[in-house]
Amino acid sequence: MLQYVIKRILLMIPTMLAISVIVFTIIQLPPGNYLESYIAELQAQGESVDPQKIAFLREYYGLDKPLVEQYLRWATGMLRGDFGYSFEFNMPVTKVVGDRMFLTVIVSFVTIIFTWAVAFPIGIYSATHQYSWGDYGLSLLGFLGIAIPNFMLALVIMYVANVVFGTSIGGLMAPEYIGKPWSWDKVKSVLEHSWIPVVVIGTSGTAGMIRRLRANLLDELQKAYVVTARAKGLPPRKVLRKYPLRMALNFFISDIGSLLPHIISGAEITAVVLSLPTTGPMLLNALKSQDMYLAGSFLMFLAFLIVVGVLVSDLALVALDPRIRLQGGVAR
Amino acid sequence: MKALIIRIVALAALASTLAAPAFAAEEPPSLAADVAAGKLPPVTERLPRVPLVFTAPRSDWTLGRYGGELRTLQAKDRDIRMMVVYGYSRLVGYDEQLHLTPDILEKVDNVDSRTFTLHLRPGHKWSDGKPFTTEDFRYYWEDVAHNKELSPFGLPQALLVNGHPPKFEVLDATTVRFTWVEPNPMFLPALAAPSPLYIYRPAHYLRQFHARYVGLEKANANAVEAGSRSWAGLHQKKDEQFRFDNPDLPTLEPWINTTPLPATRFVLVRNPYFHRVDANGRQLPYIDKIIVGITDDKLIPAKTGAGDVDLQVRYLRFDNYTFLKQSEKRNQYHVRLWEKALGSQIALYPNLNAEDPEWRKLMRDVRFRRALSLGINRHEINEVVYFGLGRESSNTVLQRSALFRPEFRSAWTKFDLKAANALLDSIGLTRRDGAGLRLLPDGRPMELIIDTSGESTEETDVLELIRDSWRQLGIAMFSRPSQREVFRKRVFSGKSMMSIWSGMSNGIPTADMSPGELAPTTQEQLQWPMWGQYYEQGRKGGEAPTAPDVVELVKLFEQWRNSGSADEREKIWLRMLAINADEVYTIGIVTRALQPVVVRDNLRNVPVEGIYSWDPGAYFGMYHPDTFWIDTAQTAAASAK
Repeated sequence: MLQYVIKRILLMIPTMLAISVIVFTIIQLPPGNYLESYIAELQAQGESVDPQKIAFLREYYGLDKPLVEQYLRWATGMLRGDFGYSFEFNMPVTKVVGDRMFLTVIVSFVTIIFTWAVAFPIGIYSATHQYSWGDYGLSLLGFLGIAIPNFMLALVIMYVANVVFGTSIGGLMAPEYIGKPWSWDKVKSVLEHSWIPVVVIGTSGTAGMIRRLRANLLDELQKAYVVTARAKGLPPRKVLRKYPLRMALNFFISDIGSLLPHIISGAEITAVVLSLPTTGPMLLNALKSQDMYLAGSFLMFLAFLIVVGVLVSDLALVALDPRIRLQGGVAR
Repeated sequence: MKALIIRIVALAALASTLAAPAFAAEEPPSLAADVAAGKLPPVTERLPRVPLVFTAPRSDWTLGRYGGELRTLQAKDRDIRMMVVYGYSRLVGYDEQLHLTPDILEKVDNVDSRTFTLHLRPGHKWSDGKPFTTEDFRYYWEDVAHNKELSPFGLPQALLVNGHPPKFEVLDATTVRFTWVEPNPMFLPALAAPSPLYIYRPAHYLRQFHARYVGLEKANANAVEAGSRSWAGLHQKKDEQFRFDNPDLPTLEPWINTTPLPATRFVLVRNPYFHRVDANGRQLPYIDKIIVGITDDKLIPAKTGAGDVDLQVRYLRFDNYTFLKQSEKRNQYHVRLWEKALGSQIALYPNLNAEDPEWRKLMRDVRFRRALSLGINRHEINEVVYFGLGRESSNTVLQRSALFRPEFRSAWTKFDLKAANALLDSIGLTRRDGAGLRLLPDGRPMELIIDTSGESTEETDVLELIRDSWRQLGIAMFSRPSQREVFRKRVFSGKSMMSIWSGMSNGIPTADMSPGELAPTTQEQLQWPMWGQYYEQGRKGGEAPTAPDVVELVKLFEQWRNSGSADEREKIWLRMLAINADEVYTIGIVTRALQPVVVRDNLRNVPVEGIYSWDPGAYFGMYHPDTFWIDTAQTAAASAK
């Protein structure tokens, strides 16, 4: 087991290296660099730019250096914990992300809990009552959640919340609390505003989870051991809880891998529409303005979380389900 | 004894009020507590000895009342710099009639545009209460502009005349003098620009980062600790008067930014040491606080319509007008339409540096450019796209400008297919293919591709209409939308034959403003990017222009730069405008495009009709937002209803 873990961790190094090259290349693919898109943006607004200032910045940010050198500087910097410099904010990347990370984790965490709380009972219900009206009705709701684009739902809910409840449009708290230290009123304000993103992002996730739980559970429910348990006279709820449900939960664990980056990046588009102070819009803007170190470091962090998440979920699966063995990789 | 002391104190108080300006010292209520507690000196001591007295610029302008906060929106953290633009506190600035008047300066003595003597206001203070003196100018000149590490590329362009720097002298604590051998007409307009030439720095604050004052090693160590690579990097970062992102940096603007980046909500508070007063001697600004929310730009019209702002102009487009108008009543605001100062709302730019030799030859042929201009039905475009609110025009200055001449506006703008076809025939483009398209001399059909930045449907709508009328000239036109950076690259490299973009950015110039847009001066000019690059890079990169009229434009521009007389500058301007109008280097379509401005009903002193312009104008800056005020009586009346 230990050998397996070490091997997996060692494998992460070339993986991350490859990812860093890909990330850097993709960010560099669009023509121009940060300064050029900066000039273009200013000019679209009718502003002028001082060429000398641009020359200074180009040299200061090292944008006049060859690409390979820029890459190496960034990649080796990350090893030392230096994630580079955000051009847009004129400060180190770590400082830029700061507070936003915290709010992002809160929103995403609440969203995941919401998704589970809604999807779990519905999934079980629709599996045990297959092809009933309830099954169809609830599945329909779930599919609507998938089918309606998040940003659309966000706009509608936001409009209704503004007109009916008078909640200010967008944001995660009433404007007067932004930038203030945390207080009870601020927490209340966050709760008042956060239900919108939670519902919007959550609805798209529930349908998927409902269908997977339903399918897995249906597979198990047909199996002989369930029949045996029933035949022995166990009450139906206990049967369900004790055997097939546990079997059907594997996908929950394997989801962790994709869940971790989801917590950090949130749902970008929804966050942009709702103008949430989370990290999603920041990543999007960084990519748009070619603020390459901010975007790059961000993507690297997400990639790292995926790699770690997959490892954790693999190990957790082994621990939880005795049917799964590691032999495929290690045994020879 | 006690009585005597009281009498002396009273006398002293009397003396100090006599020395101070003869105004009633009304304290802004939001500062009264601090003054009473002794944290802040009284207003008479905070104002310069000779403050700027703001007089009513319009008949509907009224004296205001103190207080309140003003909410507005921007799309990015970086946009906080707009508050420096709106604040528009400059050494000299434009008033509403576009006259340059002293603002931070008490006066300027200008001798032949060669010698400029700047007189500061005695007793003027930075927002932290420290004196603003000629030491701040000296610090900029010696320790910033002439420091190899802070300014590796030398002095800013506006300070150089034919490459020569001025002589800088500090005459006393409130007077400095700049002297050039040749005239420098660019100097004062550069000081008045929305993104101005800052020739002063808060020396008392910035010294702590400067190697000369704290020692190289200590300065560098501090910088590394603060996350910068060198002391110069840290100094640069702290010294951003225009970016406005350092709350610690003292300022002379009406409001001080208190929020560091990154943030989604910026709070600006009044500068207690601001140098302007109203006619009653009350210190400006009237409004205590400005709240700048940061929201995605596409959401800004929606939030504006929902009544989340008191004043909004940026990121509102003309096509939001009907939507905004709809919720005017419900959310108690008014949508006003201001005029944009663009020479033409959109203009076509034939690329005189196009790569394709056949097309390049045509683009450089004035007959071809004139034919294209005559082949545009501007009236139809105006009616269809702009609801008839625009005015058909070439790309030239607007009627408001003293340099406007009707013949510039109407030059080659009459829709006349017959004349256009005759011009094309006279070039020798007489062969046609089966579909009726004219053929280029090398036999290719004339298929003209116009590059767009792909950002506005307005451009594509206009092109769609132009396509139809040009087809009757025997020219097929296609538009090629791309993305902004790609678009610019294609134009600069000559891959694009023609492009579409907004027209002259300063449509309301005076003869004292630079006519640089009319001659090749920078690569950014889409009609002759390579010629522009040639002059931008000091006659090294790009290509030297060959067309005689363009060479004349360059000469005229140089003459303007070295001209000491206002009359001569006006003559040069008119000549350059005439050449541009006649040669049709850019093809204008309509002017007087409108910009919606949303103003809350209780906000006073925002002009009903205004110009929306970057330079000159600084957007709201020219209209002095420090004199805008919130009519609380009206708010109360409205909520009682």
